[in-house]
Amino acid sequence: MSFMDTLRTRWQEYRKPGYYDEFDYAWTMTIDLDRCTGCGACVTACQAENNIPLVGETELARGREMQWIRIERYWEGEYPNVKLNFIPMLCQHCDAAPCETVCPVSATYHNQDGLNAQVYNRCIGTRSCAVYCPYEVRYFNYYDHEWPSPLDQQLNPDVSVREKGVMEKCTFCIQRIRQAKDTAKDDGRRRVLDGEVQPACVQTCATEAMVFGDRNDPQSQVSQSMNDPRAYHVLEEVNTAPSVVYLKKVEANVST
Amino acid sequence: MAINALGLFDAPSSALEAAGELKGAGFEAPEIISPIPIHGVEKVLGKKKNIIKRFTFFGALFGGIGGFALAAGTAVLYVHVTGGRPVIAIPPFLIITYELTILCGILATVAGFFLSSRLPAMRDRVYAPEAAVDKFAVTVECEDSEQFRRAHEILQNAGAEEIRELGGSE
Amino acid sequence: MSQREIAYSEVNDDIVRSLVVTGRNYYITLAVSILVTFACFFGPWFYQIQYGIGAAGMNHPTVWGTYLASFIFWIGLSHSGTLLSAVLHLTNSEWRKAMYRSAEAMTLFSVMVAATMVMVHVGRPWFVHWAVPYPNQMEMWPNFRSPLMFDVMAITTYMTGSIIFIYMGTIPDFAAVRDRTTGWRHHMYVLLSLGWRGTDTEWHRLHWAYTFLAVLIVPLAVSVHSIVSWDFALSIVPALHQTIFAPYFVVGAIYSGTAGIVTVMFVLRKYMKFEHLITKLHFDNLGKLLLVMSLLWTYINAVELFTGWYSESSEEYEALGFRLFGFYGPLYWEMILFCAVAPLLLISKRFRTSFVPMLILSIAINIGMYTERFLIVATSLPRQYLPDAWGMYYPSLVEILIMIGSFGMFTTLFLIFVKIFPSVSLYEVKETLPEPQPKLRTQSESGAS
Repeated sequence: MSFMDTLRTRWQEYRKPGYYDEFDYAWTMTIDLDRCTGCGACVTACQAENNIPLVGETELARGREMQWIRIERYWEGEYPNVKLNFIPMLCQHCDAAPCETVCPVSATYHNQDGLNAQVYNRCIGTRSCAVYCPYEVRYFNYYDHEWPSPLDQQLNPDVSVREKGVMEKCTFCIQRIRQAKDTAKDDGRRRVLDGEVQPACVQTCATEAMVFGDRNDPQSQVSQSMNDPRAYHVLEEVNTAPSVVYLKKVEANVST
Repeated sequence: MAINALGLFDAPSSALEAAGELKGAGFEAPEIISPIPIHGVEKVLGKKKNIIKRFTFFGALFGGIGGFALAAGTAVLYVHVTGGRPVIAIPPFLIITYELTILCGILATVAGFFLSSRLPAMRDRVYAPEAAVDKFAVTVECEDSEQFRRAHEILQNAGAEEIRELGGSE
Repeated sequence: MSQREIAYSEVNDDIVRSLVVTGRNYYITLAVSILVTFACFFGPWFYQIQYGIGAAGMNHPTVWGTYLASFIFWIGLSHSGTLLSAVLHLTNSEWRKAMYRSAEAMTLFSVMVAATMVMVHVGRPWFVHWAVPYPNQMEMWPNFRSPLMFDVMAITTYMTGSIIFIYMGTIPDFAAVRDRTTGWRHHMYVLLSLGWRGTDTEWHRLHWAYTFLAVLIVPLAVSVHSIVSWDFALSIVPALHQTIFAPYFVVGAIYSGTAGIVTVMFVLRKYMKFEHLITKLHFDNLGKLLLVMSLLWTYINAVELFTGWYSESSEEYEALGFRLFGFYGPLYWEMILFCAVAPLLLISKRFRTSFVPMLILSIAINIGMYTERFLIVATSLPRQYLPDAWGMYYPSLVEILIMIGSFGMFTTLFLIFVKIFPSVSLYEVKETLPEPQPKLRTQSESGAS
């Protein structure tokens, strides 16, 4: 009966949903909208870190911008009583990501760190993931991008340059996470320390509105930050279980 | 060497009649070659067993099991989690199972058809080109000229328009 | 079935003539359609492969465009042929027999064009084989949890099934044509007919194999378009995430497919001179089917709008409002006019049995159905959850050319088909004719020995 037992345990293991919970890391980001000034430094940092192409004026006008993190702006009210709300929008690294299930070639999947990984080499460009993503944070390479000299000198050697016909998106700077894990291993530590790794956007944020860390560790800064009563997920109703947590902006009750 | 007698008829009813008489006279397996399927052949020449349905059934069964095994097996072979779903996710794999059931069912049916009707056959066999247009041919294999004479007689009495003597089909 | 008696041999003559005798018009049409295929399909596609998908008009929120609309359109067009043929075979409908061959061919070529549209659609068509499950040195397999993967399996199965179904039904006809042709045609038909003789055993086997195939193909065809609809319905995009989508697509597919058959029947009747084989009866029956399908389609459309409205969700409101009254609103109402209002004319028997009005209506229906598929893609994706990412999509020149080119490709394939396959089933048309009766035997005939 041992064979049947093995079969049963294997079956149960493979039938268990959401099995990334077991892994060491569950990288999470919190964004405090109270602190965010909408300066766009994160957008620039991301552009520089991840070799994101500059599409140019005509392509931008055709709606083919490339920004793994973007500042969404929402105007409220009529002039002169207008108010500007903004929210940085990046890949939410959903635990129940709709984009992952739809890829026919598994170019996007959930890796052991709870990250929503995108394998550029595997992508065949059906673009279904971008349709399925409710946050609209997947960007497609409509053609081969160029970095005219001297821009090609500043390309990050740790990040691959994507070819035409490939989908790309925020990776939580996976190259930095890799490096931090390697360093931890070299130093003989089992885990990456809290705050040891930061994506480019978090590193750049002048007001420290963004916090990045491992939510599996209850002591980490990000876990503390997630417990804030203001915490919420964008589009919680579509049940994607995102890994990016927003902290609501507190409205001052000022009568004008 | 065997000889084949082939009688051409202008109507299915007379061809059937001739075939029935040949069978009654002790000839082995007379065949009717016709431009359209004839109704009532079974009554005259006996019921035909058909193995195609077995092919279809087992093909579909193989496809069903194979389909689920393909989907589940490859998922287990290279585990990658997508969308928080289990590695072996039943509802989507059932769709793969469904499609492969039908695919293998179709392929097995074709195989069954080819095997049971002995096609493709590229060698020369007893045949009358008129039987693909508007004539109905009855053929029967005769062991010697004596038998051929008898067959000839039966065919002629049944109203054959033309009777041919064709070489044997080994 | 016809105004006058047709002899068996006349059917053979007609069909063989349609294969062997080729007029100048045929060559002109063929040349034009090949030209269109290369100029409008392969040319722009080559450019797009060189440049990237950017040659098309897709952009950030609307990453799917007319390529996918064309894909659904062609898959839909393929739906009547084999499905209708199989259903009518199983229900022993006599009127199927004169038209099913070309209907099945339509299926086959539509599926082929649709499969090509997938290649055009993807960003890296040179890697599209990764979506096929085959053992490889990377030990990577496709993701069977993906609705797109269901599509790959379903369309492969459907294409295989359709090829086999049409080929098997044609074997006796290949044999009949084999005996009447000479030269390279004869050699080709010798190979294609596989040595078929038409013995009672062969007919018996063919009947059963064909029936089993029909039984398998009916659920297959229904599943194929359901699965195509799940490419959309399994997403969480407002106005696409609808439970009604599977029946909606199946009904729409049969609807546009039947309209396509009417168009093809008209052309065959007119240019292949099959006036006595394809008659008013066929148009009457197809017209009735079209009417039923149009009513079903209208009903499902109404349900779709109703559930969207009743849901009271702001996203659904926005997406449906954009579809009905947005930039592409006029197209929506055109679709309603062509697919829901105009087909009501089919209530009249006089309309159903007049050929030219039926042709015009069938073309109008297919224009409407193309619009429907276009609107599904082009009005849902620009209005998703986050208003900041809203956008707009306009097809580019390359997309329009490729769409036109796909029609050229379909026509080319069909024109080649009518010269190789007997486009009307010989033996089944004969079956519908009165059986030959034995002539009175005269003494002189039975006297000779």
